[in-house]
Amino acid sequence: MNKTLLVAQREFAENMRTKTFWLGILSFPILIAIAIFVGKLFEQSKDVRRYAILDHSEGQWLSRAVLDRSLTEDLAKFEPGEDSATSEERKERFREWIESLDEDHPIRQLREALVSAGIDESAMNRPDGTLPPEALPIILSWASDPAHAKALEKLGRDLALLDYRLVEYDDLGGDPERELRRRVKDGELFAFFVIDADPLDLDSRSRYVSNNKSDDDLRKWFSRHATEVVRAERIERLDLTDREVASIEAGFRFAEQEQVNDSGESETVTKEDKLGAHAPIAFVYLLWIAVFTAANMLLTNTIEEKSNRLIEVLLSSVSPLQLMAGKVIGIGATGLTIVASWVVSAMIGVQFAPQGLGVDLGAIVGNPLYLGSFVAYFLAGYLLYAAVLVAIGSVCNSLKEAQSLMQPVFILLMVPLIAMVPVVQDPNGTMAKVLTYIPLFTPFLMMNRAAAPPPAWEYAASSIVILVALVIAFWGAAKIFRIGILMTGKPPKIREILGWLRAPVGIVGSPARDSSTR
Amino acid sequence: MEYALTLSNVTKRFGNFTAVDDLSLRIPTGSIYGFIGPNGAGKTTTIRMVMSIFYPDEGKITVLGSDRPESVKDRLGYLPEEKGLYKTMRVGEIVAYFGKLKGMSNREATDRAHELLVRYGASEWIDRKCQALSKGMGQKVQLLGTLIHGPELVILDEPFSGLDPVNMELMRNTILDMKREGRTVIFSTHVMKQAEEICDYIFMIHRAKKVLDGTLSEIRASYEKGIQVDYDGDGAVFRDLQNRGLLERINDSGKTCELFPRAGVDPQEVLAHLVGRIQIRRFDLREPSLHEIFVRNVGAEVIAS
Repeated sequence: MNKTLLVAQREFAENMRTKTFWLGILSFPILIAIAIFVGKLFEQSKDVRRYAILDHSEGQWLSRAVLDRSLTEDLAKFEPGEDSATSEERKERFREWIESLDEDHPIRQLREALVSAGIDESAMNRPDGTLPPEALPIILSWASDPAHAKALEKLGRDLALLDYRLVEYDDLGGDPERELRRRVKDGELFAFFVIDADPLDLDSRSRYVSNNKSDDDLRKWFSRHATEVVRAERIERLDLTDREVASIEAGFRFAEQEQVNDSGESETVTKEDKLGAHAPIAFVYLLWIAVFTAANMLLTNTIEEKSNRLIEVLLSSVSPLQLMAGKVIGIGATGLTIVASWVVSAMIGVQFAPQGLGVDLGAIVGNPLYLGSFVAYFLAGYLLYAAVLVAIGSVCNSLKEAQSLMQPVFILLMVPLIAMVPVVQDPNGTMAKVLTYIPLFTPFLMMNRAAAPPPAWEYAASSIVILVALVIAFWGAAKIFRIGILMTGKPPKIREILGWLRAPVGIVGSPARDSSTR
Repeated sequence: MEYALTLSNVTKRFGNFTAVDDLSLRIPTGSIYGFIGPNGAGKTTTIRMVMSIFYPDEGKITVLGSDRPESVKDRLGYLPEEKGLYKTMRVGEIVAYFGKLKGMSNREATDRAHELLVRYGASEWIDRKCQALSKGMGQKVQLLGTLIHGPELVILDEPFSGLDPVNMELMRNTILDMKREGRTVIFSTHVMKQAEEICDYIFMIHRAKKVLDGTLSEIRASYEKGIQVDYDGDGAVFRDLQNRGLLERINDSGKTCELFPRAGVDPQEVLAHLVGRIQIRRFDLREPSLHEIFVRNVGAEVIAS
């Protein structure tokens, strides 16, 4: 067998046995699993926000309306279909949808609860989209049952019903506000609202009291619904026609964004398109990790071989060039195996991705341009950094020595990471273009720009840049490797190393006079 | 005579430093050639040039009849002074790997590695990892890796260092076996006794230049004879005689001593001075030891260091 391949094969076989390799293979799926798990955990661990309302409005109409509106909104989240349908259509569709649900579906159960409490079934979706007032306490008490809450939670919607719980007190004594303050202080309540007697008055100010200064969600939620409620009430008092209301309420609106396709026609930008445009960030990040992991493997491996004193035995059988090529190929194959396993696990993982997002993740992850770029630019990036690191590894006797030489490489490697987001936002901008033609960044930048694929000539030009850079890098690496690999003692200075590049084959630089040249 | 290795006017420089200077050497096929010389003299550089790890700046090297040493690498075996193994590889695997690197097929190398390990009494180590090996054991494994492909020319750099007497015996027998099989063996050593015991030829390099080259008996015959004394007692007497101008040089090892009388001094006179002061077990006149020759060539400055 060809000696280069023999060396490569051994490297590959050996790496398969290392922890780094299996960590590399598993890191990606584990990372994703952890991200999902931790995300869920965070969501679940966020305590239900207990709050109270001290409503001075007449008959407490404001807080009732707010809760009613919020509930309707929550329920609407379960309703399929677009928002553009008329309320009559929606009502009909909602009814059909509920009929189609399983007996044990929480929404179906909720409806049963309402019906059995004597609330008219049809009242559940009145044309104005609000619930009858008597439904409110029924729904609230139904949702406070942990089993029901859990069932709702499983549906995966973000429900105010579950996040915020109104605490009602029968008797707060003579100074209710003081009582509530005490409860906030004790941590019994997260917050309480004090609603002004006449919320419709333009000068009225209601109050929000809470000791948590960072989580503003509860106040925003209340404020959002209260604004709508108050606005609707004011409009009603002005005695306006529906059309007048609509003309006042309607803001300036855009239709869905459009884009121009290859044949010059415009088409709607889908959610997939938007997410897809950001997908390269994830790919660049993974690419970066993969390139760095593999190139670093090569570095440690070279240094280990050198400090193991194996080099001389190997060089008595193979040439330095064969040895270097073998190592680069063997570890490259290892890296490619890791990358391929990531791609496969991503493809499998997509099958299990939550369906409710309204986007087809599979289409983004499985995009052949992204996957193809990922593998191709992994190879290009790995080879480029492999040439640099194998040269560094060859002149160092320990990882510690290598670290100081690695510093400039580290700094260079940070650039594509920093540029990741700006480049995704402007994939064909000046910065993206300039960075593309700096060889050490080319693979990352081309991956980064894949969202808005650069023209074919850029692919061609950047490929030429990479190929030329690879030839130069390996030419230099080979020269440094053949001299450095036999050196022991102090690592050479950069200036000395540059001197080797000029030296013809077979000449060993002056620092080689040391313990190894007895 | 056929030569396994010929160096003609070979020079190797590292920058301003000349590691090997105008060296010519012919090593007959089937001989055992000892390379001696102080640290830093150029032994390893010479060996590395033969193994085409380095290339000479000047001169010509012919290995196994080829002017391009790199083309016959597969027919050479090299055991470097610094010995190392892949820690995580298994013993059987690594010996076979060295064979494969020399062009053996996978099957052939695996079988042969197995056979060698069994023959050298290491069969229970075949499936163990190299990191579990003791130093001597590791050295044995490395030697087998050097020999697995049946090299015609074997170069052993300090093969005896760190070996216990049993393994030293094994190493010696291995070298002698190779000679019997018609292979050529070059080995470098700092232990003169070993060189004297097995070498057909001795080559000595000092400060990049050749200072000795020839059969052991030739070399020894070219030096004047000395007195070998085996004794018990206080060796201070030798220094005493040297101070009195009777002796030129003494190599006192404690129980045995080599004496070189000053010109014109009769060995009998030396003997007369020794009688009664030490217990003499043997007293004879013979060619100088390799140690003496080595020291004379290297001179005082190395001894001082």
